[in-house]
Amino acid sequence: MLAALLIAALSQSVSQSIDSTPPRHPPRSIAIDERLAADAHIAIGNQIVLSAIPGGAGDTVIVGAIVKRTADPSEVARAEYRVRVHLDELQSLIGYSDRVDRFAVATHETSQADSAVRRINASAFGFQAYKSRDIAVETSQTFLVVSRFHRAIGVITIVASAIFLLCIMLLKVDERRRDVAALRLMGISSASIVRSVMVEAALIAVLGSAMGVVIGWLAAQIVNWHYRGVYRTPLAFAIVTPSIVLLAVVLSLVLGLVAGFLAAQRLVHLSALELLSGRREERGPASGASAATSA
Amino acid sequence: MLFRLAWVTLTRHRSRTLLAMLGVAVSAAMLLDMVMLSSGMRASFKNLLLSRGFQLRLAPKGTLPFDTEATIPDASGVIRVLQSMPGVETVSPVLGGQLHVIAGTRSITATTLGVHSAVQGDYEITHGRAPAAANELVASDDFLRASGAHLGDTISAAAGYDPELRAFSGQRRLVIVGLAHFLYMPAEQRAVSLPLETLQEMQGSSARDRASLFMVKARNGVAVDTLLAQIETALPRVSAVSTETAMHQVDQRLSYFRQLALILGAVSLAVGFLLVTTLVTVSVNERLGEIVVMRAIGVARTRIVLQITLEGIAIMVVGTLAGLGLGLLTARYLNSILASFPGLPAAIDFFLFEPRDAWMALGLLTVAGILAGIYPSWRGASLPIAATLREEAVG
Repeated sequence: MLAALLIAALSQSVSQSIDSTPPRHPPRSIAIDERLAADAHIAIGNQIVLSAIPGGAGDTVIVGAIVKRTADPSEVARAEYRVRVHLDELQSLIGYSDRVDRFAVATHETSQADSAVRRINASAFGFQAYKSRDIAVETSQTFLVVSRFHRAIGVITIVASAIFLLCIMLLKVDERRRDVAALRLMGISSASIVRSVMVEAALIAVLGSAMGVVIGWLAAQIVNWHYRGVYRTPLAFAIVTPSIVLLAVVLSLVLGLVAGFLAAQRLVHLSALELLSGRREERGPASGASAATSA
Repeated sequence: MLFRLAWVTLTRHRSRTLLAMLGVAVSAAMLLDMVMLSSGMRASFKNLLLSRGFQLRLAPKGTLPFDTEATIPDASGVIRVLQSMPGVETVSPVLGGQLHVIAGTRSITATTLGVHSAVQGDYEITHGRAPAAANELVASDDFLRASGAHLGDTISAAAGYDPELRAFSGQRRLVIVGLAHFLYMPAEQRAVSLPLETLQEMQGSSARDRASLFMVKARNGVAVDTLLAQIETALPRVSAVSTETAMHQVDQRLSYFRQLALILGAVSLAVGFLLVTTLVTVSVNERLGEIVVMRAIGVARTRIVLQITLEGIAIMVVGTLAGLGLGLLTARYLNSILASFPGLPAAIDFFLFEPRDAWMALGLLTVAGILAGIYPSWRGASLPIAATLREEAVG
């Protein structure tokens, strides 16, 4: 092993002393994103030409790495390719001299970021420092708008669900008029009947929301799978978090209890006899119903 | 008689019927909104692109118009080539940039377009006139508000700012001669437009004889695709984008909203269908005695089915009509949310109402109403008469 190294070192020194032509630089390496690699059928080790303008003179480089795309919301709808090049190479390629667009600065502690921004802005000449979080907020504007849109759709959905639930509860209490009349005749209090209807409504709401959580989780998986494929990004488009589940269950429960209470009021405001005969419902302009029934 | 029976049945449980109609109205509103969303954005974008009659846009090779800061060199040469083509009626070059308006120690920044005002397709003059001299510009309302300037004022403006030297470059004094509505700019965007040559000169050597974009109007009767191919052959360093290609790009970028509209529209339809099915089923179950009596006295099964189906249709139609109004209101609200997308032209509407949308929503929900009524009514009308009468009588 030692002999082999010595031979290699010797041969290198000999060749340097004999060959007086300036050494040629091997192609520099670059990293490309996986989307470009897939679309242009480029693999690690391939040589490609980089040029600042289409068809212009360029520089031959070698693909040293293929980079996975980051989950960046600001890039999701853009079909751009990304190439990472050594800084000096890009400066030379685009005639940028010794300039950069921005510096990324890491502080030792997260809490030092504010003071670092203040110190840089106070002492720097010609540039402005921002916190990464502030930049992230700016670049996520599109997603904030989408998020507001989703919330608005969510409100409409909640209104529709509330009406649906109230409808179902009305149907259920209507079905149980005779049972409730019997309970009333047996001396069961109106409060107990209201409570029982509300408990039933709460159970329906909780069971429905549990099913909704499962359906929502499955839907989120399908949405993520589909849109990750469409936009070719690892970004998570839909996430079911414990706080969302809690919100859904609590909201359903509240809606269920309100719907149960409103529906139960229809039962307790009628006497047992009215419940048995159902006459109150047949009064008024719909009197033809009895005629139809008797026919 | 048929309609009267259906009406009587519906009004027998008024609160239930009203709630069902309200539920259908919310579903119909959502369905209408989603139908509007699925087609409105596309139609609105197409209207915007064709509003000034330019069917083709030429951008630097491999880019979309104003997608990058790249520019096309030899703009005057490109114009000559395009004007020599028999199918080309008008060519409008556009150079984009920033304009810093200096007012004492403060400056405001505006998006700037350098154009030939005689052929431009980027703005419409609302007050004053278009620039005629090299030192004239037109500005948006938001620009005038931010700068405090008025029509006829002379402003000091610069095309660049060197952060190292903290100095403006390409300074010039310009006269505001018109107030303009910029067609492709987002709402509340400060924008100005001045003659192309003036902006090129202000931007210095980097913009000499360059343009960001060319808009091309084809002569009547000329096939746009053929012209596009001719342009790309004659000018290999540009990408020609037709309205159809632009629409395709928009479709790709905003496919999320179309798919969301499809999913939510289907869910709304399903919710409306389920609501009416549930109601009609319960209603039939409650009236089994009534139904078998009608059968026993000789009323035809199809007539009973028709009557119950009519109830479902009535709920759907009344609910849908109420929902159409509600849908237009919610669409306006949802559109105001999506209009705040960064960089979206103010003229783009995500929810664009067209009468066929309303007809489609009404038609889909009516069909859902018919389907919702058929099964429970058929099941109710098919029960054995004697056995059902006995069960209903005995309880």
